Amino acid sequence: MTSDAHAASTPRRWLAAHAAGQRHWLGLAAAAGIAVGALTVAQMALLAWIVSRLLVAGEPLGALGWAFLALVVVLLARALCQWGQEVAGQEASLRIRRAIRSELLDHLAAMGPVRAGARHSAGLASQLVEQVEALDGYFARFLPQLRLSVAIPLLILLVVAWLDWLAALFLLLAAPLIPLFMALVGMGAERLNRDQFAAVSRLSGHFLDRVRGIATLQLFHRTREAGIEVHAAADRYRRLSMRTLRVAFLSSAVLEFFASVSIAVVAIYVGFGLLGYIDLGPAAELSLFSGLLVLLLAPEFFQPLRSLAQHYHDRAAALGAADGMLALLAEPLRRADGGAALPSSDERLLALEGVTLSHPGRGQVLGPLSIAVTAGETLVVSGPSGAGKSALLQLLAGFVTPDQGARRVREPLRIAWMDQRPLLIHGSLADNLRLAAPQASEAELQQALERAGLAELVAALPRGIDTGLGERGSGLSGGQAQRLALARVFLSDAELVLLDEPTASLDEASEARVVASLRRLAGEGRALVIATHHPALMAMAERRLALDAGRVCHSAGGRADER
Amino acid sequence: MSDEPLRAALAPWLRLLARRPRRLVIGVLLLALTLFSAIGLLALSGWFIAASALTGLGLAMGLAVSLDVYVPGGGIRFFALSRTVARYGERLYNHDTVLRLLADLRGRLFAAMAALDDRSLARQRASDWLNRLTADIDTLDSLYLRLLAPPLVALAAVVLVAAFVALWVPLAGVALLALLLPAWAWLTAGQAWLGMAASRRQVEHQQRLRSQAIEHLTGLAELEAYGSQAWHRAGLRQYEAGLYRDQRRTGRVAAFGSALVNLVVGLGVVMALWLAALAWQQGSIGGAVMVMLPLAVLAVGEALALLPGPFTQLGATRGAAVRLNAVERASGNGFGKGDASLPGGPLAVRLEDIGLHYPAALTPALRDIQLELSPGERLALTGASGAGKSSVAALLTRRLPPDHGSIMVGGVPLAQVAERSLRERVAILGQRIDLFQDSLATNLRLAAPDASDARLWQALDWVGLAEWGDTLPHGLATAVGEGGRALSGGQARRLALARLWLRDPGLVILDEPFAGLDAATVARLSSRLDRWLVGRSVLYLVHQLDGGAFDPPSISRERRLVEGQLTVCANSMYPSG
Repeated sequence: MTSDAHAASTPRRWLAAHAAGQRHWLGLAAAAGIAVGALTVAQMALLAWIVSRLLVAGEPLGALGWAFLALVVVLLARALCQWGQEVAGQEASLRIRRAIRSELLDHLAAMGPVRAGARHSAGLASQLVEQVEALDGYFARFLPQLRLSVAIPLLILLVVAWLDWLAALFLLLAAPLIPLFMALVGMGAERLNRDQFAAVSRLSGHFLDRVRGIATLQLFHRTREAGIEVHAAADRYRRLSMRTLRVAFLSSAVLEFFASVSIAVVAIYVGFGLLGYIDLGPAAELSLFSGLLVLLLAPEFFQPLRSLAQHYHDRAAALGAADGMLALLAEPLRRADGGAALPSSDERLLALEGVTLSHPGRGQVLGPLSIAVTAGETLVVSGPSGAGKSALLQLLAGFVTPDQGARRVREPLRIAWMDQRPLLIHGSLADNLRLAAPQASEAELQQALERAGLAELVAALPRGIDTGLGERGSGLSGGQAQRLALARVFLSDAELVLLDEPTASLDEASEARVVASLRRLAGEGRALVIATHHPALMAMAERRLALDAGRVCHSAGGRADER
Repeated sequence: MSDEPLRAALAPWLRLLARRPRRLVIGVLLLALTLFSAIGLLALSGWFIAASALTGLGLAMGLAVSLDVYVPGGGIRFFALSRTVARYGERLYNHDTVLRLLADLRGRLFAAMAALDDRSLARQRASDWLNRLTADIDTLDSLYLRLLAPPLVALAAVVLVAAFVALWVPLAGVALLALLLPAWAWLTAGQAWLGMAASRRQVEHQQRLRSQAIEHLTGLAELEAYGSQAWHRAGLRQYEAGLYRDQRRTGRVAAFGSALVNLVVGLGVVMALWLAALAWQQGSIGGAVMVMLPLAVLAVGEALALLPGPFTQLGATRGAAVRLNAVERASGNGFGKGDASLPGGPLAVRLEDIGLHYPAALTPALRDIQLELSPGERLALTGASGAGKSSVAALLTRRLPPDHGSIMVGGVPLAQVAERSLRERVAILGQRIDLFQDSLATNLRLAAPDASDARLWQALDWVGLAEWGDTLPHGLATAVGEGGRALSGGQARRLALARLWLRDPGLVILDEPFAGLDAATVARLSSRLDRWLVGRSVLYLVHQLDGGAFDPPSISRERRLVEGQLTVCANSMYPSG
C-alpha cells in the first residue's frame, strides 16, 4: 500500500484489509465455529429424540444405546471443532500482528532517522509492541465471532421454524430488539463517559505522577501523606468509574434479560401447547421432541450474541490502536535522492547542490547551499545552536532528502555516523562493535578498541570484550560510550565519517582522548565532517565552514571549491 | 527470586484480599445466585415441558390427569428475572470490589516504593519500570474476579448439582461427582501447570521486544549508516518469534481447556440421562424428573467455562506478583534510619574515604573521596556530567549508602540521623525538577505543608514569579499540568527554588541552580540567593565555573571531580583544595 492509500483509509478499512490477508485462517475459524453450532444442534436434537423415544414411544433404554453412542461422537467432534476455532483465530491474529508490526517498521525505516526520530521513542515503541498486541482480541475472537453471530442464530432459527414457526417468531422478535436496546444504552454510557473522561483520566494518572516524583517526595519527607493521597485518588477514581459502569453494564443486562425472558416464554408456550391450552397456529402439533428441542436451542440462539458482546471492547481497543497506527503510516516517506551519481573518478565523495531543508513547524532550517566533501579531508562545521549544523550532517548522511536541490554521491559510498548519544545495544561490548561490521574477527575488534583508546579499560574487565552492557548502555559513562562508538567507526570501512557534536558533555580528559582518536581516524585517510563548537575539535579542521541561520557565512581553507 | 513458589508469591496479595472478607463473600454469593438462576431456569423449563407433554398424552388417552401450571410457570419467570438482576448486581458489585482492591494495591505499593533508595529507583527507571508496574498492578487487581471467585463458584455448582441429582438418583449424583470433580481440578490446577512456563515467559518476551524496539528507534541513524538495520530487525523478529511461540502454546492450552469443558459437561449430561432413564424405567423417578436432571447438569457448563482462560495465564499473574514482591523486598533494605537529631545553624560535612561502585558499571562512580565543608562555607564541586557530582549529592542526602567510607553531617554519622531531622535540615535542588499534576499551591506546600497563601506569594515573589502569578486567573490554584508541563523549564526551576526558600535548612546542595534561566533573571536571583544562603553550608554542583554572572554566588572554594576522583584544579578562578 502506498502512503496515499493510508491517508484515505479508515481504521476499519485498514483492519479489514489486513484481515483479508489472512482470510484462510479466519475462514477456518469461522467454519469451525459454524460446525460447532451445527453439532450443537445435532447434540440437542439427539437429546430431545432420546427423551421422546423413552417417554412417549416407551422404547427400552437398551434399544437406544446407539443413540447414546452417537451423542458421544457428536460431543467429541464438537470439542475438536471448538478447539480448531480458537486455534485458527489465534493463528490468524498472530500472523496479522506480525505483518502489521513489519509494515510499521518498514514505514519508519523509509521515513528515515530524522522524521522518525522526531517522534517520542517510548510512544513509538508502545505503538510497535503494546498497541499491535492490543489488536489480538479483534482478529482472534471478535472477527470470527462477528460472522458466527449471524450464521448460528440463523441456523437455529431455521431449525426452530421447521419445528414450530410460532416459537421461531418469539426468537426472531427478541433478536433485533437486543442490538437496538444495547445501542440505546451504549449511547447513554458514551455520553456519561465523555462527561467524566477528563476527571477519570486525571485520577488514573495520579498514581504514575506520584511514582515518577517519588524521589522528590522522599526528599521533602512527604511520602506518608502522598501515600494516603494515592489511596484517596484511587478511591475517587473508583466512585467516578462506578457511575459510568452502572449504565454500561445495563447494556449487557438487556441482553441477559431478553435471553432469559425468551427462554421463559418459549418454555411456557411449549408447556401450554403440549397441555393443549393453545389452539393457535402450530401449537397443537407440538410434540415432546419438538418442544424440548426448541427449549434446548433457545439459549444457543442467544449465545453467539452474548459472546460477541463480551468481545465488543476488543473492537473498540483495536479501532483506537489502528487510528494511531494509520496516523503514523500517513507520515510522508523520504523521497529518493535527486541527483545523478558522481563519476568514480571524481575526487569528491559527496556533493550537495543548491539544497534547502525545512522542518515542519520550524520553517526553513538550511540553505540554499552547495557543498562538497573530498576524500580524506577533515571539514569542521561550526555555528551557534540552531544554525543548521545537525541538519547539514543529516542531509549529507541522506537521513533526510532536501526540499530542493540534489545530493550526489560517489557510489558505493560507505558512511559512519556518530552523535552525542551513540546507540548502545543490550548485549556484550563485542555485539556493540559488530553492529558496524557483523563479520569482524576478534583481532579486528581488539584493534578497533585500541585505536579508540578503550583497550586498557576492556582488558581490565574480568570478562573482557564479552562484558554485557545493561539496557541502553547502563554501566558506561558518557566518555566510555563515545569511545565505544568511535571504536565502531574504526571497525567499519566507512570512507566518510559524520560526527555531530561528538564531545558535547565530556570532560577535558575524555575530550582529549576522543580528539586523539579522531586524529588517528583522519590519518587513516577517511574523510571527516565534524559539527562542533569545541575549540579542540575545531583545531583539527583542514577546512572550516561557519553556518548562521542555515547559510554559509564563512568558509576557510580546503581543497575543494564551493559554488 | 524467579522461582519463588506459587503460593509464596501470591500469599501477600491474597492476604490483601482477605482484608475485605465481607465484600468477597457477597461477590461470590452474587456470582452463585446468577449461576443457580441459570441452572434453575433450564432445569425447571425442561421439567415443565416434559411434565406438560406427559400430562397432554394422558389427557389424550382420556386419563384424569392434571398439572398445576402456575407454580412452575411462576418459577420459570422468577428464574428468568433473578438471573438478569443477579448478573447485573454481581458485575456492578464485583467491579466495585476490584476497584477497591486497585486502590489498596496502589496504596500498598506506593508505601513500599517510598522506602526505595536511589539505586533501586534509578535501576527501575532504566527498564521501563513504570510501564511494567502498571501492567503488573492491573494483572493483580483481577486476582479475585478471575482466579479466586470463579473456581469457588464452579466448585459449589459441581457439588450442589451433584447433590441435587443424588436426591433423585443417588448413583447418578456420585457418578457426576466422579466426573466433574477431577475435571474441575484439571481446569484449575492442570491448566495452570500446562500454561505456567509459557504464560510467564510471555511477559518477559514482550518486555524484551519493547526494549529492542526502543533501541531500534533511538538508533535508526547509526543502524542506517552502517547498513545494519536488517541485522537489528532480525533480533527484533527473534524476540517477536519467542513471544508468539509462547502465545501459541498458551492459546492452544486454553483452547484445549474450553473444549474440555464442553466435552466433560456433555458427557455428564449423557451419563445423567442414561442413569436417570434407568431409574425411570425402574419406576423410582417420574418422567419429567428424568428430563430435568440432565438439563441441570447442562447449565453447569457456564460456571466451568470461566476457568481455563485465567488459569492458563496463571504464570503471568505469578510473574507480576513476583516482581511486585521484589519491589517490596527491596524497600525492606533501608539503611541507617537512626534517631539522632541534627544541630541547628549551618552544618559541617565530612566525607572520608568514600567509595561507590554501581552494580554493572565498568568503573567505580567515586573513588577515595575526602571532602570537608566547614559550617557556613560554600564549596563548588565541578566536573563533567558523569564525573560523580550527583553521586556525592545522593550520598549526602542519604539516597544511597556508600560502599565504604564514612559520612558525617553536623558532627553526627549520617546513618544515625532521624529521617525527619535529615529532611528538615538538608535540602537539595536537583537537576530533575519534579512537579506534580496538581495546583501551584500544592506543589509549593510540599516544602512547607502549613504555609499560608501569603507566604507562598512571598516565595513566588522571591524567585520573581509573583507578577506572572498575578496574571493567572486561578492564581495559586492554577494546575501545573502533568509533570509541570504547563510551565516553561525556567519557571519550573524557579518554582523549585521557591520551594527551597520556604524551608530553613542548615545544608543546601544546589545542582546547577541557574540552568535554563536567562541572564536578567540570574542577575536578580543571584543576589537574593546569596543573602538567603548566609548562615547555611552550601555545596554547589556545577559543570564548569568561568567567573561570570552564571557562577553561583560567593563561592569560597572549588574542588574538581574527574571520573570519580577529586583533583586539584589548575587555573581555577576560586581557591582550591
